Amino acid sequence: MRPGLFIHLMSIETRKLFSYRVDFWVTTVVNMVVTLIVFWYLWEAMFQESGASTIGGWSLPGILTYSVLISLSGRVIRGGDLQMAISTDIYEGSLSRFLLYPSRYFFFKYAQQAGAVLPELLQSIAMGALIVLVYGIPTEVPVTATSLLMALPTILIGHLLFFMLSVIPQLVAFWAENVWSLSVLLRFITMLLGGGMLPLSLFPEWAQSILAWMPFIYLYDFPARVAMGLVTQAQWLEGMLLSLLWCGITALLAVPFWRRGELQYTGVGI
Amino acid sequence: MIKVQNLRKVFRVHKREPGLTSSIRALFRREWIEKVAVSGSTFSVAEGEIVGLIGANGAGKTTLLKMLSGIIHPTSGEARVLGSIPWKRENSFRTQIALIMGQKAQLWWDLPAADCFLLLREIYRIPEDRYRKNLGRLISMLNIGNEMNVQIRRLSLGERMKMELIAALLHSPRVVFLDEPTIGLDLTTQRAIRDFILEYRAELSPAMLLTSHYMEDIQRLCKRIIILREGSIVYDGSLRRVIEEYAPYKEILVHLRRGIGAVPDAEDLSRLGDVVECSETQVKIRAPRDRIAEAANELLQRFSVADLSIDEPEIGDTIERIMAGRPEEPR
Repeated sequence: MRPGLFIHLMSIETRKLFSYRVDFWVTTVVNMVVTLIVFWYLWEAMFQESGASTIGGWSLPGILTYSVLISLSGRVIRGGDLQMAISTDIYEGSLSRFLLYPSRYFFFKYAQQAGAVLPELLQSIAMGALIVLVYGIPTEVPVTATSLLMALPTILIGHLLFFMLSVIPQLVAFWAENVWSLSVLLRFITMLLGGGMLPLSLFPEWAQSILAWMPFIYLYDFPARVAMGLVTQAQWLEGMLLSLLWCGITALLAVPFWRRGELQYTGVGI
Repeated sequence: MIKVQNLRKVFRVHKREPGLTSSIRALFRREWIEKVAVSGSTFSVAEGEIVGLIGANGAGKTTLLKMLSGIIHPTSGEARVLGSIPWKRENSFRTQIALIMGQKAQLWWDLPAADCFLLLREIYRIPEDRYRKNLGRLISMLNIGNEMNVQIRRLSLGERMKMELIAALLHSPRVVFLDEPTIGLDLTTQRAIRDFILEYRAELSPAMLLTSHYMEDIQRLCKRIIILREGSIVYDGSLRRVIEEYAPYKEILVHLRRGIGAVPDAEDLSRLGDVVECSETQVKIRAPRDRIAEAANELLQRFSVADLSIDEPEIGDTIERIMAGRPEEPR
């Protein structure tokens, strides 16, 4: 691990993303507006239909705040949607050049992924500030500057965890001719089981107790609850340690896949 | 610097039958075939040597380079490059080698060359003063101008290839693998790159293994060649010797004075060798080396000769015949 090289690689990716100015603003605005409209109408309709003031312990402003936070932090956690980068390297033979460099391949790829954090973070902060200006912060939701600051490291660890989780499905590219479906599946599973579609507290009790032992919770649900001030300091620390532990476990699980897989690598063409 | 012993690579390839039915069947059961890309190669390359690796497409040249640069693992056999096993990819090995692929861009397309080089400095941990010195020398050798600050994707093929060379050599590798470095380039750029490779070799004496389909590259750069056919080495030796060994003939070209003296007859002349061309004004014969003087003498005596020349056969033709598996001449 060489910090100088990591920062250099990261800054290249960041500069690249900033240089695509049109893409930068279009994805920010369109993504946010569409997501917010969907969440807004969906939850409002559900609350109206049920006639209840809370659903599963969530009020309408509370669940809308959760949805906004998921949407804003999710972009950072997925880090520029580079989850096909490794399989593309394998299929197109670009992996070859990284194998020639005196540094680890995953170090390069994670630095590249991390380079997307800053642009995504800035976009999310800008959109978040705009939403606060227009709608304000609901009084029944304890979002504070401290809770938002506490959420930041959980989001960054979530970013690392998302990268680690996407490594194994992508390494299947050493054997399979297309892993796009696996990537889509991973995204769907992480969104559903990580609380990216709806709060995990709305799941049945038995499902919640299983999900608590899985890594997905640390991708969306945990950072959003931290940002909303719904997590104690002890829970916050425990959550971060557990998510780091999951990063380690997924890294260890990826090792045999990489070792077996790279024996199959042809570098494209004979 | 490079030692290869019985190196072999077999690829397992999915057999694809045409048609929709076969595609559906392949969802449940696949047939695999084994393709031998490199079959038991043994050779070595010394410091300062440029060895040409020649063969038709699919002969195994690039596969061999990929194994020796550590990108892929062999099926069996041994190789040592600078004392290391390449596919173990130790950092001490990777900092001393370079692979340049003419057909595959290795630089970052969205970055200007100057940024790519800075990143490579960081990757290879090249000290600042050595980086500046190396970069300056390579820029002047390749005559690079203002293109340093242009995005790689916006450079011409020739300019890009020059940048690829600089990028690969910035860390002063002791072993350089060049896979078709002049492919697709115009003649001027090809020449510039050949001159550069020679100059670089003269300065730093690295071991170089070069593949190319251009005979000009091979003739200008390599004293020694290795010819591969279907994964096997069929020739390893000097470029000059390949002619003596595989083309045991010379070509006699005779220009005749029109209307003066005897008219040549192809059937009659075939006693001297293979008649390649026979007209009223010109005769071209491939005669065995040991009978070349005798054949020339007879032609001079029988015909009114305006000019006569004896040439070695084209080296490219000879190599092409070896690659195609027809090394022997008719006579």
